[in-house]
Amino acid sequence: MSTVRELFLSSVKNFSDKTAVVEDNKRVSYRELGSMVGSFSSFLTAKGINKGDTVAILLPNSIEFVVAFFSIASLGAISVPINTAFKKEEIAFYVNHSSAKLVLTEVKLKSLAEDAVSDTNTSVAVVKGENAEWNITKADSNPPEVSIEPDDEAIYLYSTGSTGKPKRVSRTHLNLVALADNHTGTVGWTENDKILFAVPVSHTYGFGNFISSIKIGASIIVLGDFNRNRVLDLLEEESITVFPAVPVMLDMLAKTFLPEPKDLSSLKLVISAGAPLSERIFHSFYEKYGIYPRQLYGSSETGVISINLSDDIESTFNSVGRHVNNVEVRIVDENGNKVGVDEVGEIAVKSPSMTRGYFGLPEETKKVFRGGYYFTGDLGRIDRDGFIYIVGRKKFFINISGNKVDPSEVENILLKHPKVKEAVVLGVNDSDGIERVKAVLIADKGTGKKEILEFCRDQIAEYKIPRIIEFRDKLPRSPTGKVLKEELK
Amino acid sequence: MDIEKRVKKVLMKNALKDIDPKELNIDSPLIEYGVGLDSVATLELVVALEEEFQIRIDESEITPETFESIKSISSHISQRI
Repeated sequence: MSTVRELFLSSVKNFSDKTAVVEDNKRVSYRELGSMVGSFSSFLTAKGINKGDTVAILLPNSIEFVVAFFSIASLGAISVPINTAFKKEEIAFYVNHSSAKLVLTEVKLKSLAEDAVSDTNTSVAVVKGENAEWNITKADSNPPEVSIEPDDEAIYLYSTGSTGKPKRVSRTHLNLVALADNHTGTVGWTENDKILFAVPVSHTYGFGNFISSIKIGASIIVLGDFNRNRVLDLLEEESITVFPAVPVMLDMLAKTFLPEPKDLSSLKLVISAGAPLSERIFHSFYEKYGIYPRQLYGSSETGVISINLSDDIESTFNSVGRHVNNVEVRIVDENGNKVGVDEVGEIAVKSPSMTRGYFGLPEETKKVFRGGYYFTGDLGRIDRDGFIYIVGRKKFFINISGNKVDPSEVENILLKHPKVKEAVVLGVNDSDGIERVKAVLIADKGTGKKEILEFCRDQIAEYKIPRIIEFRDKLPRSPTGKVLKEELK
Repeated sequence: MDIEKRVKKVLMKNALKDIDPKELNIDSPLIEYGVGLDSVATLELVVALEEEFQIRIDESEITPETFESIKSISSHISQRI
């Protein structure tokens, strides 16, 4: 098995009567999912999509997202999942940068998608919601036979940098199949697992777990938005066995008032990734639900790197675990040499699921992809049992619940406000150790926090909007004029 | 302690840590302080209110009207306890 199409068809064949996807009151078996993908592929062909074309998916977690992704891959075309929280300019960037020919979306995002592509030749197709252009009963099913090679590109994910714009990461069919093999082989999922997706499958973390779930023939239960009470109801009603989450979700669930206890006895794996899991959240989630969250580590460039499946989770809770199957992890010093046990250095990863580099950025690619390894920019150590601990990062970005924020992108938006003269954006930890976006501004007298927030809200996704805004008369600078960000924390 | 005082206490502890309590009265529009503009922050406030009042508040109850002021939040909560 070396292409996404083969991965998908194998599950359709082997698990045909099993439930593949559940969304609200809709349940789709693998057989039905196979028919839907055939029908959707015909729909895409009729829209002019051929092998090598790029198709943006602006959809929440949904049956349509699953169908769209596998249909695009079956045609040898390339998916570009876009976060539905993004605003017009952000969507326009991803569409233009990936040269997407078509944007697939839902009714409520139609006008936003159309606005975002208004200056381009890209078209928009509504495939979810009332009066959608595609649905299983309307479309014919006559997809073309396309030859797909393992090294053909299957998906473009984007990695946040510190240059103001995200970097395009291409992953091939073989990369994605390897990702699913490595992950499922390590965690030991089976077709009897039921996996709840409240994290977006458009994001690398959700996506890795999603494709792994389909590969193994598990049932996936999708939620369009994170809704605490809905998550808790589903965990119980659907007898969920695996729940991938981010620390903020776990924190919210641990604090959620329960009028009656929940029976979560089916739940055997709660995954925490995207941001460090604090000791407080680790314990409070366990105290409430009787199961410890386990950390997973991955990146858009490599897919899943490691997961903590330790038998002694209480004493290793802050580890992201051992590397998954077929992935090599080493800690290196400034010169790229491997360091000893428990010594801190940069985490470098070699994986059959990793990208070859960043599109159009040869210098940046050369810098972080060396000798077959990807240099993550994360600082860490590996103990004598092979457990990886992340202790910091070299790259300068802010991590908001797993969503990486490039400070210069937010600074550029703030500087567009007519009253803002200077802007510095940085990450600060609150009392719970959760990172927040902080903006320090030099602005006209009388400028208020509210107008700044509203200005940002129109232009960037909510998670990038500064939580803390401070007005100052001047910024602390070094003798060379560099802003001293540490003094602004 | 009455409901409004308890709501204010929760707000000051969670969403408005950097605001002088004297600045905030029960009718102050919370949006002026950024409350309700950020969904994660709003959710954090909701779980804190759930904890304080031992009630279940569903995400569907989080509307701009409910979270307009200390008075509107208190009024919503008083119907639930």
